[in-house]
Amino acid sequence: MAKAYNWQLGREVNYPYEPKRPKRQFAVVMDLNKCIACQTCTVACKTTWTPGRGQEYILWNNVETKPWGFYPLGWDIRLLELLDGNKKTVFDAPEGERVLGWMPEDMDWMYPNVGEDEVNEPVDVGTVLENLPHPIWMFYLPRICNHCTYPACLAACPRQAIYKREEDGIVLIDPERCEGYQECVRACPYKKTMFNFVARISQKCIGCFPRVEEGLQPQCVITCIGKIRLMGFINPPEKARQDNPIDFLVHIKKVALPLYPQTGLEPNVYYIPPINVPLSFLKQMFGPGVEHAVKTYTAMREGKEPELQALLHLFGSTPRIPHTFAVGRNEVIAYDEAGKEIVRVPLVEPIQFRPHKDERLDVVRQDIP
Amino acid sequence: MRYAGVLILGLMLSGVVFSQELVCKRVKSLPLDPFDKAWADVKPVDVPLSGQTVTTPMQLKPSVTSIAVKCLNDGKNIAFHFIWPDKTEDRFHLVSKFSDAVAVQIPYKPSADVPVTMGEKGQRVLILHWSAFRQENIDKGYSDTAKIYPNYAYDWYPHTDSPYKYPENWANQYALNYIGGEKVFRKNTFNTPVREVVAEGYGSSTWKDIQGAEGKGVYKDGKWHVVIKRAFVEESTSNPEWGPGKETFASFAVWDGSNGEVGARKSLSYSWIKLKVE
Repeated sequence: MAKAYNWQLGREVNYPYEPKRPKRQFAVVMDLNKCIACQTCTVACKTTWTPGRGQEYILWNNVETKPWGFYPLGWDIRLLELLDGNKKTVFDAPEGERVLGWMPEDMDWMYPNVGEDEVNEPVDVGTVLENLPHPIWMFYLPRICNHCTYPACLAACPRQAIYKREEDGIVLIDPERCEGYQECVRACPYKKTMFNFVARISQKCIGCFPRVEEGLQPQCVITCIGKIRLMGFINPPEKARQDNPIDFLVHIKKVALPLYPQTGLEPNVYYIPPINVPLSFLKQMFGPGVEHAVKTYTAMREGKEPELQALLHLFGSTPRIPHTFAVGRNEVIAYDEAGKEIVRVPLVEPIQFRPHKDERLDVVRQDIP
Repeated sequence: MRYAGVLILGLMLSGVVFSQELVCKRVKSLPLDPFDKAWADVKPVDVPLSGQTVTTPMQLKPSVTSIAVKCLNDGKNIAFHFIWPDKTEDRFHLVSKFSDAVAVQIPYKPSADVPVTMGEKGQRVLILHWSAFRQENIDKGYSDTAKIYPNYAYDWYPHTDSPYKYPENWANQYALNYIGGEKVFRKNTFNTPVREVVAEGYGSSTWKDIQGAEGKGVYKDGKWHVVIKRAFVEESTSNPEWGPGKETFASFAVWDGSNGEVGARKSLSYSWIKLKVE
């Protein structure tokens, strides 16, 4: 068992293979304050990648309501039980196993909308939500594969059918090597590999690699109507760049946090925690950084974090992958890998005044009083 | 337990062979049916099996501990006959559910020095692997969604022809190659329940281009009865050095699906057994 340095935990973790970071690492930031669970991302992914037989239950992208939503049932509760608090990572496996995991039954996958829109506890008559965080709360958690730096699926596959791409850190299953043993399904703590029971191979989110290769963000990112997502490439903290949008959110402002970092996998989807939710719950899910993240985000809403506020305008504003960004007077600008400008987004939209009567066309606009 | 595994491995690498011997008598024609009269006259060899504990993931609590093996040949083909007890008949390979299976392993070079643990680099083995789910596909039709979940409501497959094929003109070529299409489903559509793989060590088993092995498995009275048959020499592909009048070695593995056994989680005979072909 080799040792791998996990910056999210600030310590080394056990890993079955020699750790090697890819040249670039795929990463997505999702702002949970904005997700409305419209499932446009889910549908975009489903129709693009998993419309086939044996894939009926498969959602590479899903959106679940926390605290009572799970896909598959109870996935994160089972995980927290297995990890015994923060004492273990999933690589501290019991005798005879490669990874500490559990295998969901088929029916566990069949309720992707369980707990939808349900709040944490029953609401008393007359309850008013005045202050943050709310005593009665829920939030939506969109999930894709985390394309982990130390993937448990890859570690668990006895056939080495899973690999992490050197060029972008995307984790893929080789469909020709896979024999459907489902060791990866058992191992992935986020339960983001799934078994296609007609093709009899395991399948997982491919990070829309054909798009990423063309410099485009994934389907789930660009179709998000709430503009909550941004895909880019993350550097390890010692190489963080101020002008890389993902680095800025994760390393500089520390406003976006990994999901259940205690797994030890270094997951690469980062969440801006919802500020309506009590810190105790968020801490369990996103680690001790939540207090700072919520504070920073709240300050941003009060206009005290102009650069962060500007960067959030880039979310959902371009299908292209922004490698760097700059903030202008009333705009934020994104650049591609070659430094070429790909989009310029105004921070405050200019006001257009449309009179009730259009003199040029000599018509009255019905939608303007 | 892990150290025990290493010990056993060490013993095997030193070429230890069980005193058991499987004699493969010559007959005029080889029956594929496990209940054919020809098999009744052959005395079985009871091979002890134990859980796979050399590499992870292991099977620490295997449910099958012995298998009765018979062998016949007709000069051109060889057939193995297996009977082992299994309380549950697992004929499907589904989400978190696995199929019963049996396999025989033959070294390419007739030497007991080839590691019984699926060979090693340069020491190739042939594995003939019968699975109940492939038998089910052949006997009762392909196990697709309608068969597995008859009440499943799914209104539309926008890009998928029935039952498991993607249209070639589907605009999403990436999806075609990566998640669907002939490449993926080819392995499921051979008209034989036995797949032929070669291996040079753990985790290296690879499908052969030519899949000539045949087989038939029947579950009866709490036991699997399976026959695996293959030509000694298949055309246009590599073959072990074996044939009539020659001696080589064999080892066996069994998977009990409902005991969570698949891939490395299996019971196996930890030693080569001499295989005498008459």
